[in-house]
Amino acid sequence: MTKLRNVAVVGFAQAPIVAADEHHTGPEMLYPVVQAALESAGLERSDVDYQCAGSSDYVDGRAFSFSQVLEVMGAWPPVQDSHVEMDAIWAAHLVWVKMQAGESEVAIVCGFGKTSEGSPSHVLNLQLEPFYAAAIGLDPTSTAALQASAYMARSGADDRALAEIASKNRAAGAKNPDGQLREAATPEELMATPWAVKPLREGYLAPIGETATCMVLAVEGRAEKICDRPAWIHGVDHRIELQALGSRDLSRSESTTLAARNAFEMAGLASASAADVVELGSTNPAEELILRDALGLPASARAQGGPAINPSGSAQCANPLMNTGLLRLAEGFRQLSGRAGERGVPGAKRAVVHASAGHGLQQNIVWVLGTERRWS
Amino acid sequence: MSEPPKERVKYIDTNLNLPYHYYAGDYKALYLRALKDKKILGSRCSKSGKVFVPPVIASPETLAPCDELVELPHRGIVTTFCVVNVPVYGREIEIPYVVASVALDGADVSLYSLIQECAAADVHMGIRVEAVWKPDGERQGDHTDIRYFRPTGEPDAPFESFIHRL
Repeated sequence: MTKLRNVAVVGFAQAPIVAADEHHTGPEMLYPVVQAALESAGLERSDVDYQCAGSSDYVDGRAFSFSQVLEVMGAWPPVQDSHVEMDAIWAAHLVWVKMQAGESEVAIVCGFGKTSEGSPSHVLNLQLEPFYAAAIGLDPTSTAALQASAYMARSGADDRALAEIASKNRAAGAKNPDGQLREAATPEELMATPWAVKPLREGYLAPIGETATCMVLAVEGRAEKICDRPAWIHGVDHRIELQALGSRDLSRSESTTLAARNAFEMAGLASASAADVVELGSTNPAEELILRDALGLPASARAQGGPAINPSGSAQCANPLMNTGLLRLAEGFRQLSGRAGERGVPGAKRAVVHASAGHGLQQNIVWVLGTERRWS
Repeated sequence: MSEPPKERVKYIDTNLNLPYHYYAGDYKALYLRALKDKKILGSRCSKSGKVFVPPVIASPETLAPCDELVELPHRGIVTTFCVVNVPVYGREIEIPYVVASVALDGADVSLYSLIQECAAADVHMGIRVEAVWKPDGERQGDHTDIRYFRPTGEPDAPFESFIHRL
């Protein structure tokens, strides 16, 4: 494996995840978060040489929406800035690439999305192919249900298997002070909730919320000075599949498997099972089971041993669009740097982090984080 | 769609209907509310002392909080302007008309507004202007509450006094 530059996550801050913050604009939500992230890292804005945001014009209902947050990320004197029209975890990937290219040493990544100002189900419908898929009114819940159905048919997983996964996440989410859905629920309680789109019940679905996030990344030499316990990036890769739902096997996530294989090879990690923590960007239990399958993890919520899976409660307990993925990377950082509070996995040294974009797990990114530098 | 497509199979019509309601945020809501009361509010940077209008919660320049609201006079200077000779979508106004950047006295950034009650050719950099408001009872708490600015007839402001507020 080629020797790469050691890059670490060294700071993170977020706004509370809520259904609607009626008191602040998107930039106003982000402002204290950027300040808190910089302060937690002991940095001034002038220490940051690159910034990248993840957001969506359609979510925010305005063209070039990212440009509105420059006033709180920092834009004077003019700075080196990029943006991805994706979840901010892909902005973090861009920062990592930029650092590999030697063009940045300390960078911030911001995520924001005022989901409460628009209609996410309408917006996400437009993410589909317009002639057939979008035209019949598919939304993310219905495409997720199509996927769940395909997985259940292939694997034999039943409603209870989904309920047990969902219940496990709800129990974990109840302990996460930064989550949105913080009420534990038994499998039986969840199985008693009505169908949202069969075979997915209302109790299995993630609430769509809004927040703002800011992560600080730094290269070796800077990272150790900024953070007492940096979370070093050992490996990362992301892969995308076809947009058309009918042209891929919805019961599997090939792109997760491939991205994981490449990230694990880069990291020198034998498998996801060898990590201490696995944090998945699944917004419902069927997605989690498909991702577990793709990563070679146990298919049952009751499996003993192996890594702690979704100690945060996963995206199932909070899905603030454009931030959901970055929050997974943040969970990896929090777990490895002793910042996860009560839900901290004792002695965690390596974390696998996953996030997804698009309908039916269309695009997937997999990271490996570690408490030690990967390359010496 | 007003007219059905003539050759249907060459394309499809997609009637995008995405509703949005933007929150002004508590801070900008104060500003909008004040317009209804015929007042213009700005916010002062706690670090540089610069005054921003409309108010911002933090200075884009220093990133320090701007937590002091200040009431600004209704008079200022045209810092830069343009003469519009083409019809603009969504605006029914006789052309040519002038859109100008107006630096209110005491503000460090400019507002955009129309300049009326004078010939377009008479507008120039440094000309002093004042706000013309909608009458009482008609103001809604939005930017149209200031209908436009008009020349005051005062002597022009020297270029040096607004060069940093263009």
